[in-house]
Amino acid sequence: MRRGSRFGIAVALAVTLGAVVAGCVATQGGGAAGSAAEKVYVKPGEKDAYYAFLSGGHHGNVYVYGIPSCRHITTIPVFTPEPAVGYGNDEESKAMLGGYTWGDAHHPGLSETDGDYDGRWLFINDMPNARIARIDLKDFKTRQIYGPIPNISAAHACPFPTPNTEYVFAASRFSVPVPNRGVKVEDYAKDFKGIIAGIKVDPKSGEMSMGFEIQMPPFDWDLSDAGKGPSLGWQFFTCYNSEMAYDSLEIKASQNEMDYFAAVDWRAAQKAVDEGKATTINGAPVLDPQKVKDFVYLIPVPKSPHGVDVDPSGQYVCCSGKLQAEVSVYSFAKIKAAIDAKKFEGDKMGVPTLKFEDCLEAKVPVGLGPLHTQFDNKGFAYTSLFLDSQIAKWKVGPPWNVVDKIDVYYSIGHLMASEGDTRHPTGDYVVALDKLSKDRYLSVGPTHPEAAQLIDLRGPKMELLYDFPTYLEPHYAQMIRADKLHPITVYPLAENDKPGAIKRAEDARIERKGNRVDVFGLVVRSHFTPDIVKVNQGDDVYFHWTNLEQDDDIAHGFGILWSSKNMQIEPGETKTIRWTAEKTGINPFYCSNFCSALHQEMQGYIEVRAKGSPQAAIVRPDAKTIAEINALLAAR
Amino acid sequence: MSYLSEKFRPTERGLILFAAVVLLPVFFLPVFPIWHMHLRAPQYPEGLNLAIYTNTIRGDVDKINMLNHYVGMHAITAADFREFSYMPQLLTGFGVLALLAGLTGRRWLAMLGWLAFTGFAVYMFRDYVLWLYHYGHDLDPRAAIKLQVFTPPVIGFKQMANFKVWSYPGLGTWLLGVAWALGPIAVLAERYGRSRSRAHEVASGTVGA
Repeated sequence: MRRGSRFGIAVALAVTLGAVVAGCVATQGGGAAGSAAEKVYVKPGEKDAYYAFLSGGHHGNVYVYGIPSCRHITTIPVFTPEPAVGYGNDEESKAMLGGYTWGDAHHPGLSETDGDYDGRWLFINDMPNARIARIDLKDFKTRQIYGPIPNISAAHACPFPTPNTEYVFAASRFSVPVPNRGVKVEDYAKDFKGIIAGIKVDPKSGEMSMGFEIQMPPFDWDLSDAGKGPSLGWQFFTCYNSEMAYDSLEIKASQNEMDYFAAVDWRAAQKAVDEGKATTINGAPVLDPQKVKDFVYLIPVPKSPHGVDVDPSGQYVCCSGKLQAEVSVYSFAKIKAAIDAKKFEGDKMGVPTLKFEDCLEAKVPVGLGPLHTQFDNKGFAYTSLFLDSQIAKWKVGPPWNVVDKIDVYYSIGHLMASEGDTRHPTGDYVVALDKLSKDRYLSVGPTHPEAAQLIDLRGPKMELLYDFPTYLEPHYAQMIRADKLHPITVYPLAENDKPGAIKRAEDARIERKGNRVDVFGLVVRSHFTPDIVKVNQGDDVYFHWTNLEQDDDIAHGFGILWSSKNMQIEPGETKTIRWTAEKTGINPFYCSNFCSALHQEMQGYIEVRAKGSPQAAIVRPDAKTIAEINALLAAR
Repeated sequence: MSYLSEKFRPTERGLILFAAVVLLPVFFLPVFPIWHMHLRAPQYPEGLNLAIYTNTIRGDVDKINMLNHYVGMHAITAADFREFSYMPQLLTGFGVLALLAGLTGRRWLAMLGWLAFTGFAVYMFRDYVLWLYHYGHDLDPRAAIKLQVFTPPVIGFKQMANFKVWSYPGLGTWLLGVAWALGPIAVLAERYGRSRSRAHEVASGTVGA
């Protein structure tokens, strides 16, 4: 009897503990047990376990999602103006965009330390204009746009950071003459060049600068990944069109049985540049493999490969032959041995080519149209199958077999596993990023959204959890554990050292020099200081607004009527926007971002007088206004 | 008169010295707030906090001022409080008095110090209530939102517009309370000790009943 009741208590305790543990998991967003609905349900007020950064494709930006709820949290403007926050409209971001109003953002790359995401920066490419942006994950803002990178034509294999974020890379997808000049397209094989660029990343600031460029055969350089572990120091690039076709590529570039992937020893490349072995073309140091040796090699890959992905251990390089039903897995040790033994079968414009059989480790028959591969923490790889609209799960290592497949909807391109391209994938989820959505969601006419599916990787079989639309057009994406990011929620006013910043009401003023007018103003609930600005027709007016708030989520907007001038100023931030007084009359302006109970009252007027009207060189707010504002700020 | 001129016994002197030690962190290290206010509103689920110390005021002062300006409340600023310039010094004085009383055992010194300390506490509490009254009553007539005059809660809970407000003493006040209570405790301890030793003397026959 006693024994029985003890057992009963033990069972009850175990059940209770189990419930408590399950409850803890659930509060992290999405439990491991239960129905698919329970696994994606993140209770109101609770947060997701992962941030997912989806490239915005030809929308030119980055979408931020929470996983597993698949809620769209925000969109970070990167290569495309965004009118609500005024990205590309205020002077600083306008200068950063460099006159471009479009970009095609393909491959987000999180910064890494020791091959794992460190949560500092997100890099992303603009393929057509050969630019790379750095988003600071402290505030989720684009802080640098590097480029157009000289000599690079369509940076598709980009940016794919190295394991300690020493470099990000770019390679030409559409070769052009280097330097670009008036040549005949028909002289493609003679005059066109592929270029691979290594862009240095400052380890402290993340600032990008030119490292080196390599002149490559004019193949179409497609995708990239960084070596890690034993392959640390090497960067891999796939290519198609080793046929060097310049027209009808659909047919002509699909003829060869073998294309290539390139292996670049980036330390050796940088060393060669530092030793002055490069030729400067358009300001970039370009290495010619016909003259400089021992830093770049080509390895044959069957049938127009697409993705190249290095497994978490860094031992294997997995190339997806998109016109072939296999993933070709190469052993880095074999590649290195062949290079060391100089076992070359020839060269392509100075780049030595290794033998396929010398480097291959395994062929995995994954299915039709393999494009990209990601990894989990249990020794499995996941390859997207464009033609089969499936994901294949296969064993990395003998017997190199497919163990599971799952349908996705439809025509999957990239896939994103949780930290799935790092040294330590978490093995929780994979998201299928599909090119076609067809009938999956409520119809919105001919322009279909894209589709994505969340798939659970924690069980022995992949399990479809959720299906959600995305806006045009995520290519690659990256998923990072939420506890690795610690964004600020206001800009500390004390650290604001922008030239246009003012922090005291006494410093608010309107300054005039010729026809340039600078308004140094404050925004704070719920008024602009100054809120009356008198200028003359033809004046160039620069509004420098500083938001004095230090409270979460109290952003103010500044929008001028009958103009395209609008921006949002975050707490503690200073932004400048330029507006030209074109016509005499009155132009109201207002706070365009709902801020407070008296938001509607947050407005002002610009009075535009006739050209040449007398105006003081400097106008300040009256003493009463200054006193009122200072009373608010006195505690600081 | 003779009671006041007598000295405390070592036990009571120890209690008084302990009172000086308890006062120490409050006057030397203004790390223990003497009063707290905690405000919660739907849009501030994590709450806003004010912590009043002997020499300053900390917490979400800016955020609270920003909200209060809508109802025309005076901005709360440390510079407005003369109290911050004398409270630490006065507390230091009480600490020194307790130290001296403990070391010398002079009963009159201890009593004087305790009485002054009591007066100080009553005065400061009254002062605090007056400040709260001032903030809730002396409102700017030009304020955007016109409120009925009010007094924020001195101690306890009050609903004020969309804010729930809790007001309660901080660790500093509890320490001051302990130091204060050690006065009567010392007196009572002495009496108890005396009556025990007297009873002992009676029982042993050294003193006649």
